[in-house]
Amino acid sequence: MSIGEICHAIQDTQLFTGIRESGLLYPILLSSHLATLAVFGGLILVSDLRLLGLALTNIPVSDVLLRTRPWKRVGFLLMITWGILLAGSKLSEYYDNPYFQTKLTLLVLVGVHALVFRGSVYRDPERLDKLPRLPGVAKAAACTSLALWLGIMSMGRWIAYFDRPEYHPHRVEQPAAR
Amino acid sequence: MLQTRYVPPNNPLNNNEWSFPLFECIHIATFAMAIGTIALVDFRLLGLALRNRKPAELLKSTSLWTLIGLIITITTGLVIFTTDPQAYFNNPSFRFKCIALVIATVYNYTIHRRTVLSNSNPILGAVVGGVSLVLWISIVFSAIFYAFV
Repeated sequence: MSIGEICHAIQDTQLFTGIRESGLLYPILLSSHLATLAVFGGLILVSDLRLLGLALTNIPVSDVLLRTRPWKRVGFLLMITWGILLAGSKLSEYYDNPYFQTKLTLLVLVGVHALVFRGSVYRDPERLDKLPRLPGVAKAAACTSLALWLGIMSMGRWIAYFDRPEYHPHRVEQPAAR
Repeated sequence: MLQTRYVPPNNPLNNNEWSFPLFECIHIATFAMAIGTIALVDFRLLGLALRNRKPAELLKSTSLWTLIGLIITITTGLVIFTTDPQAYFNNPSFRFKCIALVIATVYNYTIHRRTVLSNSNPILGAVVGGVSLVLWISIVFSAIFYAFV
């Protein structure tokens, strides 16, 4: 089975066919995806701005990071859930869309970002409170996070604008030509 | 002729492949900034996050970012609107969005702001925060829905 066939089989399941063919469910999921971005993505933005010393400077870094963390996790789970339901319902169009692929790659890099800066920034932010100034590594973590999330958001929007150079209705049966 | 009819096909945004989605991306990023910073204060008002801090502290240190976000997102929204003004104007979901946006913005700088700064009782605070979240989320929903109605 090729990747194309697998993606087609996934999108053909009852759940994803239902979403795709529902006039109401699809826009509700898309709206929820964007509303979650605004409400919970805002928490990531605020944390990044705090690490850069640009917002909430009257509140310690550890408070901003640790006390919004449970809600960031809730937001992330919601975001992924809406995302899977949306992408799954159009997977056979999406899987070879370069913007979709870039978005997934950047999401993997978010995981790498968390691992790379875990020890120095995120695991023990109280340590940062005691320093006279925020270290460069905290600012690097914030800038990387901002760049990654902005990229993910932009690629998500751009998925809708991919013009397939040559469209083959039966490309699922053809061997991959890359 | 003094008055020329506005012709959307001549709008630069309708004549290349990248500018429309670029404006959409800036629009989305900055509404996330505006709504996200307001939502942080609302979470506090609802007693859901940063309970060791006063709501007023959070408002004071995020309000500049909210304002910058609102200004850029409304500006880019107006630019996007020029690509097809008639279609947007006739769309019921777009009309709802415009009305909700005016209400939410006025609410944010009057009732919401006053309640946060006056450290009023927590129940009133929670109601004001909840209404704020509902208002802003309804704007996002109506924005998506005008592509589907």
